[in-house]
Amino acid sequence: MSQHYENKEGAVSRAKAVVWLMQRVTGIGLVLFLVLHFWVQHMPTGFLANAGEYNEILKTLSEASPEAVDAIADGKIKAALPGEHVITYSKVLERLRSPLWKIIDILLLLFALLHGMLGLMNVLGDYMKRVQLRKTVLFFCWAVTLFLAGQGINVIMAVGMK
Amino acid sequence: MNQNKLPGDSGTTPSFRTFLSTVFSYRVRPGMAAWILHRVTGLSLVLYLVIHIKGLHSLDNHLAFETYITGYRNPLFKFAEVMLLGAVAFHAFNGLRIFLQDMYFRSERQKPLFYAVLALTIIVTIIGGLPIIFPYFITPLLP
Repeated sequence: MSQHYENKEGAVSRAKAVVWLMQRVTGIGLVLFLVLHFWVQHMPTGFLANAGEYNEILKTLSEASPEAVDAIADGKIKAALPGEHVITYSKVLERLRSPLWKIIDILLLLFALLHGMLGLMNVLGDYMKRVQLRKTVLFFCWAVTLFLAGQGINVIMAVGMK
Repeated sequence: MNQNKLPGDSGTTPSFRTFLSTVFSYRVRPGMAAWILHRVTGLSLVLYLVIHIKGLHSLDNHLAFETYITGYRNPLFKFAEVMLLGAVAFHAFNGLRIFLQDMYFRSERQKPLFYAVLALTIIVTIIGGLPIIFPYFITPLLP
C-alpha cells in the first residue's frame, strides 16, 4: 500500500486518525453489545434464575458438596430474596456452551478492551509531555491489554471444554 | 508575564488552595460538563472492566462462582450496579452525541443535544435500575 504521508508528523496524525476511527467503530459496536449484555446479565429474563430456581440450585449444590453447606451456613453464599433474579453458574455455562454466544462475548471483550485502553491512552497522553514517558506508558497499556484479552478469551473458550 | 496569567492564578506558590482556586475558576458550561463527565465515566469503566475480567476466573468452579456472585448481591453493590448502568448509559449517549456532531450537526446543536443526553441517561438508569433495586429495597417495604 502506498503511503500518503510524506513526513513523520504526517505518520503521527495518520495514526491518530486511525485511533479516532477505531473509537467510533468500537463505540457504536459496544452500544449494541452492551444493550444485549445488560439485557442478558442484569435484567429478569430467562438467562437468570428466579428465586425458586436459585434456591433449588443451592439445594442441589449443598447435597453434592459439604463445602457448599459450610459456605451457606457462613453466609458466603446467600439464598435468593423473593422476586430476586440471580445469575447462576449453570445458566452462564448453558449459554456459553453455544459457539454463537462465545463469539459474541469474545467480540464484546475485545471491543471493550480496545475502546477502554485507547480511551485511557488518550486521557493519559493529555497529561504527559515527555516523549520517553509517553512511550513507556503506551507500551505498558498495550501489555495490559494483551494480557487481559488473553485471560478473558481463555476463560470464555474453556467453558464446556472440561 | 502578567499578560500570560492563567485563570485562577493568584501569583502565590503552588498549594492545595491555589489548585482549588484554579479548578473552580473555570466556568463549567454544558460542553465542559460533558467533557469532564465523559472522562470520569470512561476512566471508571476502564477500572471496572479490569476488575470484571479478573472476576471471570470464578467461572472455573461452581462453588467459587456462587460465592463470588453472593459478594455482588450485597445491597451496597446493588447501588453500585445502578451507578454502573448510569455511567455506561451516559458514556454511550454522550459518545453517540459526539459521533452525531462530528458527522451531521457540527457544534451549534451541542447544548440541546447534551440536555437530551442527560435526560436519556436518567430515563435509562431509572428504567434499568428499578428491577435491580426492587427485591432489595422496595419488595420488603410492601405489605
